[in-house]
Amino acid sequence: MALGAKRVSLGWLNAWTLGTVAIALIVTLPILAVGYVGLTPSDDIWSHLVSTVLPGYVWTTLQLMALVGVGTFIIGVGSAWVVSTCRFPGKRVFEWAMLLPMAMPAYIIAYVYTDILEYAGPVQAMLREFFGWTTKREYWFPEIRSLGGAASMMTLVLYPYVYLLSRAAFMEQSVCVLEASRVLGRGPWRSFFSVALPLARPAIVIGLSLVLMETLNDFGTVDFFAVGTFTLGIYDVWLNMNNIAGAAQLAGVLLLFVAFLVLSERFGRRKQKFHHTTSKYKALPGYQLTGARAVLATAGCALPVLLGFALPAAVLASYAAIHFDDAANAEVLRHAGNSLLLSTIAATIAVAIGIFMAYAVRLRGEAVLKVMVRLASLGYAVPGSVLAVGIMVSLGAFDNGVDAYMRETFGISTGLLLSGTIAAVTFGYLVRFLALSFGTVEASLGKITPSMDGASRSLGHGTFSTLRRIHLPLIRGSMLTAVMLVFVDCMKELPITVILRPFNFHTLATYVHQFASDEQLGEASLAALAIVGFGVLPVIALSIAISKARPGHGSNTEKEMS
Amino acid sequence: MKGLHIHGVSHAYGNNKVLNNVSLTIPTGELVCLLGPSGCGKSTLLRLAAGLETLQCGTIVIDDQTVATKESSLAPEHRHIGLMFQDYALFPHLDIVANVCFGLIGMARDKARARALEMLDQVGMADYAKVYPHTLSGGQQQRIALARALAPEPKLLLLDEPFSGLDTNMRQMIREDTLNVLKQNGVATLMVTHDPEEAMFMADRIKILGRHGRVRQSGSPHDIYYKPNDEFVAGLFGLMNRLGGVVRDGAVETPLGRVGAGGIADGTAVQVLIRPEGIVLSGGNTGSNPGIPVSVSSTHLLGHSSIVSVSPDGNSGDEYFARVHREFSPELEDTIFASIEASDTFVFPLKEDTASAAPIGMAAE
Repeated sequence: MALGAKRVSLGWLNAWTLGTVAIALIVTLPILAVGYVGLTPSDDIWSHLVSTVLPGYVWTTLQLMALVGVGTFIIGVGSAWVVSTCRFPGKRVFEWAMLLPMAMPAYIIAYVYTDILEYAGPVQAMLREFFGWTTKREYWFPEIRSLGGAASMMTLVLYPYVYLLSRAAFMEQSVCVLEASRVLGRGPWRSFFSVALPLARPAIVIGLSLVLMETLNDFGTVDFFAVGTFTLGIYDVWLNMNNIAGAAQLAGVLLLFVAFLVLSERFGRRKQKFHHTTSKYKALPGYQLTGARAVLATAGCALPVLLGFALPAAVLASYAAIHFDDAANAEVLRHAGNSLLLSTIAATIAVAIGIFMAYAVRLRGEAVLKVMVRLASLGYAVPGSVLAVGIMVSLGAFDNGVDAYMRETFGISTGLLLSGTIAAVTFGYLVRFLALSFGTVEASLGKITPSMDGASRSLGHGTFSTLRRIHLPLIRGSMLTAVMLVFVDCMKELPITVILRPFNFHTLATYVHQFASDEQLGEASLAALAIVGFGVLPVIALSIAISKARPGHGSNTEKEMS
Repeated sequence: MKGLHIHGVSHAYGNNKVLNNVSLTIPTGELVCLLGPSGCGKSTLLRLAAGLETLQCGTIVIDDQTVATKESSLAPEHRHIGLMFQDYALFPHLDIVANVCFGLIGMARDKARARALEMLDQVGMADYAKVYPHTLSGGQQQRIALARALAPEPKLLLLDEPFSGLDTNMRQMIREDTLNVLKQNGVATLMVTHDPEEAMFMADRIKILGRHGRVRQSGSPHDIYYKPNDEFVAGLFGLMNRLGGVVRDGAVETPLGRVGAGGIADGTAVQVLIRPEGIVLSGGNTGSNPGIPVSVSSTHLLGHSSIVSVSPDGNSGDEYFARVHREFSPELEDTIFASIEASDTFVFPLKEDTASAAPIGMAAE
């Protein structure tokens, strides 16, 4: 029985499946490389590490995670509860303003607060002036460059993750259970602890997992504060001890931490499905707060926003105004150009790949594809420093392989093709942020009914034509959101850029890092302000999504964005 | 031969068998309805014909071209078929003309536009060319979807529950209009529905699928209604009175009277199904054989008819439903007699396996 020339194979041999498998393998390569090098016995660096620095790294990292976890839990859940169930002055503003610190990378507020709070800074100078102290020994002042300081900085900028997810959870449960709890005679506080909090637990677990992943990822803050976490350890063992195997082994241990977080996040997401009994938002009960309570609620919500965003942004702006001169501006512009170029390329490719994978899963839905897509999305959980080590190892192997082959066959040495180029940095961004673009695109594609595909196909359009003429126009908004999210994250990215960048190449982030590390925040303030400025974009997008998802609008975009 | 041929198609989702050795032929110009309860696999057959689902067993031929076997399959975009979805699936980002033009690939722009407008005119929607789908009512969207599916002159048209999204008043009108347009275009059409009345109205032939995708009967609407193969098919058209009995001397004695057994051997345990319209109620003084006396326990007005429940006198435990025109208002003192209409009465041997039979009552609706 002969078919026409336009025969279609039914097997896995097709562009979509092969492409997705190829992407997943390339993207997971750095993570696999870390595992491979880490497990390959090279010299006795491992036992050396275990007997010297490793316990310290583990202990410090655990302490940092615990402090940031508790801090973001209290601020995030507390503000989410107050904002979603109480009426008090400024509630409408806080609904979105609570998200503002998200725009602030932890390393930038670390630089700012160090500048303000250190011995020579304005705060201590003022205290000395006021109380007439003259030396450091006459008074006690908390040391900002410490574990506690690092935890505070991270808490201030990471709590919005918890806020965002728990607020969505509180809003969803309000209709079905909170009023029931009140009617059954429980007061607001008991309702919170006995009903709202347990129901929101899966969402809170997801939020905390994301926060802790970011905590593990942080390089700028711990580097600046010299807090010996894993990330710093990897950097140290690699660059200062020049031992890539040791770095990879540390990275491997760090991956165990990550695996735990990924599992708890997955657990949360699985549980979350059971807990959503209704998708309808209704007006929340809205306890009217008055007097001291209202003041307390307003102050409690205002404080994290002030400390996490308004104050540091104001300080940076004033520094930028003081240090405004043409020579410095030209330099900042050059670095900004680098940042824009890299971020734009990475964001565009990430979204293109994200669309490819999401559409492949939609088209074929094979189990293999789903696994591959999950693998390709793992990068979001892996700290930048670990990815950087993995990319360094795998690109090094690739370059050496090509070089050896070319010398053998053609007698030409190609040298290092990819290592230490902006291609390596871009690849790093891709691996790390692919999940972001994929997730956004997938959620949006999921809203298009499959009969659209069927209608287009039966009207004579192939898979590519259908994607171009039906799906892409319909998901345009989400595509732009995805580009923006990846773009902004690339602008802020520090550890991958620091480790993989070409010699003497700066982005805004590495420029700020270098100058601020030399305690020259003033010179870097304009660049830092620029990063924060870009960081505000996704906050605006989220705010719009939230106001659309407000009671009465019925849409659920808020959760998809996170 | 032109048209659609489906040979020996079986399909399963995991262990759940939804099509079982189904064969089907639709010559050009004919409309065949697949009728069956939801979940019986009728939509799957449609998706297989369209190429949206991978064929597991059998062959599908459209206009002498084999489009799908177990080994290989022609992509939907190369099959030249029209497909209309339950939700119409109009492209929200394109206006009505662009929607209808979507399938006119390789046609010059103005020619495609002219063809689209011609189709829109046929379905009476020419005035809406520049409008976007979301501003249209369900009935209007249905017409656009039909025009869009027919515009490229497909070899085969597939309709998936095309009227289920419409309200009852609208449905009758749209059905008639659709049938007109289909007859005008003379395309082989396969329509899937769970509504027996709709199938009777639209189809040249009806194919009935039962649970697990087994074909129960195929034939003209008349055959399906008056000569059902089994109690499942008979039960599709609504409420049924089900009585038990045993064949004696070529007939079954029921509480409502004797029924011819139609060649079933004596001694066989049988099931007797009587449509409500097959139980005729009378005042008793009309004919020589007025039937058996019954008492009326309740009556419900449904609009153009009433459903009356009756019990044979002296046996109030049994209750039967009769359909009468208009409102039923018996003179209370009069005795009511019930008799059975042979054309609405069916006798089937009682099977061991009664699980596949539809439950008593309005289940099929």
